[in-house]
Amino acid sequence: MKTTRRPTSSRRKRTLMTIREQTQCRFCRDGKNYIDYKDLETISKLVTNRGKIFSRKRSGNCAGCQRKVKRAIKRARFMALLPYTT
Amino acid sequence: METAVKRMYEGLFLVDTAIAAADWDLVCETINRILDKAEAEVVSFRKWDERKLTYDIGKVSRGTYILVYFNCDPLRVNEIERDVQLSETLLRVMILRTDRMTQDDIEKATPLMVAEKQAEEEAAQAAAEAAEAEKARAAEAPETGSDSDVNVTDESQESQEGHQAGDAENTASPEDPQQH
Repeated sequence: MKTTRRPTSSRRKRTLMTIREQTQCRFCRDGKNYIDYKDLETISKLVTNRGKIFSRKRSGNCAGCQRKVKRAIKRARFMALLPYTT
Repeated sequence: METAVKRMYEGLFLVDTAIAAADWDLVCETINRILDKAEAEVVSFRKWDERKLTYDIGKVSRGTYILVYFNCDPLRVNEIERDVQLSETLLRVMILRTDRMTQDDIEKATPLMVAEKQAEEEAAQAAAEAAEAEKARAAEAPETGSDSDVNVTDESQESQEGHQAGDAENTASPEDPQQH
């Protein structure tokens, strides 16, 4: 029994460790204060292929960064760089 | 009351590509005239990119973006936006304050510049490869008497490979599940 239990517990610990490592969102980690609406490489990753903005749960952004992303995406939509809907 | 303090702004102007390609000077002139009217000092003026618009604006489907950094009186930014709306050559403009941007954001390479650089690199690589191939051919030439036979076999192999790859793609594509 012991031999079967050990790997599961260690695996659990390992997964917990890996989850804990990312305590900050992707923009906080880079120390970015401003999210550029012209930077389509980063922004298009935060949008579904139909043009909807990913939720905070899905993108892993903090509240502040999600607001910045929202603003950037809406600016990009106005300039016809991203679609409103498809 | 007039404020003498000027702020740095970033403006992205959107123009129809057909107009920009036909008369680039006219586009530059209209933008400069609008900025001059608002007593703005242009810091940098460059073409940002040329791309297909994600949705049609009026009947325009391809646009040219022009990125301008300028120092301007904050009270006169509205004037610029209104003039762009009244203008027939310019479609849209986005004017933002630059105080939260870093210098890197401002000096970042435009997609047009990146594409040009890539094209240059590719051209250089292709030239280098061609030069190498020629060198190799020159080195091989004295050893092998009949060059023409070797070349023919190489080409036939390549063409066969190409056909096989094409077939593989054709068979694979219908099986891909459609993503939404």
